[in-house]
Order: sequence, then structure tokens, then C-alpha cells
Amino acid sequence: MTPRKVMELVDVWKIYDMGEVKVEALRGISFEVYEGEYVFVVGPSGSGKSTLLHILGCLDRPTKGKVFIEGEDVSKMSDRKLAKVRNRKVGFVFQTYNLLPRLNALENVELPMIYAGVPARERRKKAKELLELVGLGDRLYHRPNQLSGGQQQRVGIARALANDPSFILADEPTGNLDTKSGEEVMAIFKKLHEMGKTLIVVTHNPELLKDGTRIVKLRDGVIEDMEIRGVVYGNT
Amino acid sequence: MEILKEVFRSLYANKLRTFLSMLGIVIGVAAVIMVMSLGAGMKKGVTERLTSLGSNVIMVSPGFVGGRGGTVAQAVETLKESDVKAILDMCPSVSKAVGLLSGSYLVQYKNSNTRISVYAAPNEIFQILNLKVSRGRTFSEDDKSKNVLIIGREAAYNLFKNEDPLGKRVYIVQGSRKIPFEVIGIFERTGSILMFNPDRMILIPYETGKYRVFQSRGGISMIIAMTSSPELSPNAVMEIDHLLYTKFHGQESYYNVVSQQAILNVVTESVNIINLVLVAIAAVSLVVGGIGIMNIMLVSVVERTREIGIKMALGASRARILVEFLVESITITFVAGAIGVLLGVLGSETAVNTFGKTYGLVAVIEPTSVLIAFGVSACIGLFFGFYPAYRASRLSPIEALRYE
Ligand SMILES: Nc1ncnc2c1ncn2[C@@H]1O[C@H](COP(=O)(O)OP(=O)(O)O)[C@@H](O)[C@H]1O
Ligand SMILES: [Mg+2]
Repeated sequence: MTPRKVMELVDVWKIYDMGEVKVEALRGISFEVYEGEYVFVVGPSGSGKSTLLHILGCLDRPTKGKVFIEGEDVSKMSDRKLAKVRNRKVGFVFQTYNLLPRLNALENVELPMIYAGVPARERRKKAKELLELVGLGDRLYHRPNQLSGGQQQRVGIARALANDPSFILADEPTGNLDTKSGEEVMAIFKKLHEMGKTLIVVTHNPELLKDGTRIVKLRDGVIEDMEIRGVVYGNT
Repeated sequence: MEILKEVFRSLYANKLRTFLSMLGIVIGVAAVIMVMSLGAGMKKGVTERLTSLGSNVIMVSPGFVGGRGGTVAQAVETLKESDVKAILDMCPSVSKAVGLLSGSYLVQYKNSNTRISVYAAPNEIFQILNLKVSRGRTFSEDDKSKNVLIIGREAAYNLFKNEDPLGKRVYIVQGSRKIPFEVIGIFERTGSILMFNPDRMILIPYETGKYRVFQSRGGISMIIAMTSSPELSPNAVMEIDHLLYTKFHGQESYYNVVSQQAILNVVTESVNIINLVLVAIAAVSLVVGGIGIMNIMLVSVVERTREIGIKMALGASRARILVEFLVESITITFVAGAIGVLLGVLGSETAVNTFGKTYGLVAVIEPTSVLIAFGVSACIGLFFGFYPAYRASRLSPIEALRYE
């Protein structure tokens, strides 16, 4: 059985036009990710990791090239359809958590499901399950400012899982955390991988790479090296 | 539903700001409601008073003649007793008509002299003008040429102060003569009708007046006519006008025909215009309130840029963001409108309670004006909230997320 290709980049460029100067953040990136993969994106600061993730997460459009998500080209999609893709296909985990401060943990996790039109009861049940999954079953009604950084990031992960996305994107999810909380968060990612979720994670921590199925090394907007471990289907 | 919950949460989180942004609309709506209800009350009061005084009454008075080439215009005695008969015969819409004599005379009681309008009229005048006496009696057939009079309350007070006028002997001073009269009745308090005000006048029997006071040879001061229903009033005016136009050979300035109905219309129209102007002025404060809302919403959009970015990243469409902000501004203005209506109603009640007695003020709060106030405030929210909401919805998700 050949696993599904959940996403594919074909010669993706991102050029920031700053008037006088043009910054080429991505210069012809091509690679693909299969269902169940645990992908790490590494590279020095400014190499284009965040830009790449934003394009994968449909938060930004490439200047050139094609982005396929589950076989569909999203690079030319209308804003309305793109919002739907962000909602259903992508789960984004931010370095700064980006929880809504006025909502409690449960409500934060429910938000993407509200946008997807999931009925209230079902939504609540799912949000509870997800928070239990990330070990916050006893913090459902806490607001972000009543939670530690690690706990907030776990709410962020639960939120990213809300609509059973095709893949999870995480941009330096442990960047703002102390070592212990960071390890807890990475343990959750490992667990998710074992559950069969597809993950694409930006990290600076070389110790983590051993769990990955694919390591994409970026430098100056190009893939300097791509290491594939274990069974990766479709690639030679 | 979710949107409403979210909106209330964010409005509650900024209680003070929400309150301040509401203030303009609250004041505007309250002002509009007050002006409208007091205006409607004023209109109701005026029309009721004018209608109660007989909207089927028509007055014919002599016109002013002359004024050409520097001469002063003067009223001429152009109407005659025969004109009353002609009107009754020739004008089918007229059901009753009487001729009146009138003049301003010094009236003497003991040592006090007061100038009072004296009218002499046949008994039918009581039916035509719906005149009633509160004390004493009206003229009987026997009184036809007796020296008796009925006096209005104000006139009575001026003449008798606190003494009871009934049965008292007074004198109407006519040149060097003093004609004695007995007070037999006091008019019930009404308001003025056409030109005269029963509260301030003296009425004497027609014959008495004609021969002893006015010494008329058939000329009369005015004609009061009546139609059987108010709807006939315009017809009657036309018929009388036509009759007199012919009689005076097209000299329109020789006479004047005016109906209570026409006065009512003019008054109602002016009251309407005054109301409209006042409402328009009050509405300006609504617009100012709306601009205030827009201002606050623009600030709020900038402040929540990051939040908008997060929501977009989680899959909120542009339409959703637009609606969220619109619902927010509409909620603000709607709640403000409700408070404004409440304050407006309370305000006009207070105004009526405070000044109502003195100025005869009433407040009429029409359900439509309340509905309009709600509708208008919601529309203001929609109108002035749209631009900020649109701005919010056009943000790029990635730039909004990057915003600090
Ligand atoms: N909005 C932007 N405008 C201009 N240049 C940008 C913008 N975002 C990123 N860049 C530039 O693109 C390059 C890649 O940035 P980024 O993707 O954030 O790198 P990384 O996440 O690997 O540190 C950098 O040189 C950065 O300065
Ligand atoms: Mg980065």
C-alpha cells in the first residue's frame, strides 16, 4: 500500500519586494511529504524556514511555483477557498502560541471547529478529548494567562488538531520554552507521529532529528540537503 | 450565535470604551425621541384644541380697503345683515350662519374700568361655536332685547377680581353714555376660535347690541357660518367666496373668508415643519455619534490586528471577520439605541411633568418613532461600522500575524 502524498512543492520561490532591494527568501524549493511522515526543517536563521512554513500553511502565497495540498494546487486559489484549506487541511502551531487571550483553553481549541461549522456539542466533546490528549484535561477552563508557556503550547497543539488536518506545521514550537517544557511538547509530537499524524516541524535542536523520517536542510532559500530515513514511499 | 457571544465578550473586555463609544448614539437617539414625542404631543395638543372648537366653522370678515398712494389701510364696513341671508340661501354647504357685531369698549364696575371685547350675536352662536356657560344661564327668548350679558372668565377676573360677577350690574361705556347691564352667566373656559376667545369677551343679545350699543343700521362686523360636517368646510368657503366675489364685483380685498379647518391646516403644517427641523437637528447628533463609532472601531481593528491574523490562520474567512466586526458595531449602536430610547422616553416624561402644567405640554411616544430609532441606530452601526470591518477583513493573514 502506497501512502498518500499530502503535499508537494514544485519550484517554489518567494521574493520579498522591498522597493530598492528584492529579498529572495525561497529560491526554487521542491519536495514532497507523505501521509504519516515526521519532517524536520532545519537551517540557520534567515534561511527561509518560516517563509516555507507560511506558504505550506496557506498563510502566504509563493511568488512563483506550485503548492499542492492533497493534490490540489493552492498557489492560485481564491482567498475564500484558501481560508477553507487553512481551516480543514492545515494545523498550525506557532512559536508564540497565538492563543486568543479572552478565550479559555476549551474555547481556543473549539475555534477552528466553529469556523468549520461543527455543531456545539460535538465541538465541545472533541475539544475536551484533544486537551486530554495533550495532558490538559484538568485545565479546560483556564485562560491563556493562567497557563504556563508549555501548557499554552499544548493548547496550541490541541487546537491545530481540531479539524483533523492533513498535516501539522510547527514553526520552532519550543523556541519560547524552557528545556523541560520543550521536551514535553516534543514528546507530544512524537506521540502524534506514532498515532499516524503527518508533522512538519522547524527546529534548531539536533537531538530531535533522530525521530524524523525526513530532514530538510535549508540555506539561503534553497534545499542544501535532504536526508530521508526509514521507509519513505515514492522517493528514490 | 457564536459571533454574538464573541462580540459581547470583546465589548465587555473594553467596558469603558464601549460605554464611551455608545454615548454619542445614546444622546442622539434620546434627543430624537424627545423631540419627536414632544413634537407629536404639541401637534396633538394644538390640533385637539382647534378641532374641539369646531372644525366646521367659517368666518367672514370685512377686508381692508385702501392703502394706495400713502393712505392708511382701514377696515371697511362692507358686510350687511342681508349678506347672512344670502349666504344661507345661496350656499348649500352652509347649514347655519349668523351676523355679529363687535367692538372694544370700556366696561365699568364700581370704580374699575376695563377694556373688553363686546360681541352681540343671535342665540344660534351658542350652537355654532359650541359655547357653554359654567355658571348662571344663557340668553332666553325673553332676553332678546334686554340689557344682559355673559362674560368670559379672564374678562370677569379683570373686572371683578375675586368678587362673584353673577347678578352684578356693570356699565358699557359708549361715548358719554353709560349703558347698564346685568351679568347673567359666565362662559366655560375654552380656547380661542378663529379670531375670538370666549375667555376674554362679553356677549350680549344681538338686538340689544344693535340698537343700544353699536347703533348699527344693518352693517355687521362679521359673519360666522357653520357646515354640517367638517368635510364640507372647503366647499362652503368656495361657495361663500364666490357669492361675495360677485357681490363686490371682483374686489377681493373687500372681504375675507377663512375656515377653522384652514387655520387648523396651516397650524398643523407649521407644527410639522418645526418638528421636522428639530428632528433634523437632533439627527445631526446621531451622525456625530456614528462617526464616533467608526473612530472607535478603526482603533479596535488596529489593536486587534494580531487577533484577526490568528483567526484567519485558523480558517476564518474574510467574510467571517467582516461580519464579526459589523455585528460588533451594530450591537454597540443597537444597545446604545435602546438606552437612548429609554432616556428619551424618561426625558420627555420628565419634561412633561416639570413644564407640562405651565405650558400645556404633553408627550406622545409613538411606537413607530421608537422602532425608527432602533432601526436608525442599527443602520448607523452598519454604515459607520462597515469601513472598519472591511479594513479588518482585507488584512493579509501573514502580515496581521506579524503585527506586534
Ligand atoms: N515580510 C518580509 N519582508 C521582507 N523580507 C522578509 C520578510 N519575511 C522574511 N523576510 C526575509 O526572508 C528571509 C527568510 O526569512 P525567514 O523565513 O523568516 O527565515 P527563518 O525562519 O529561517 O529564520 C530573511 O532574509 C528575512 O529577512
Ligand atoms: Mg523563523
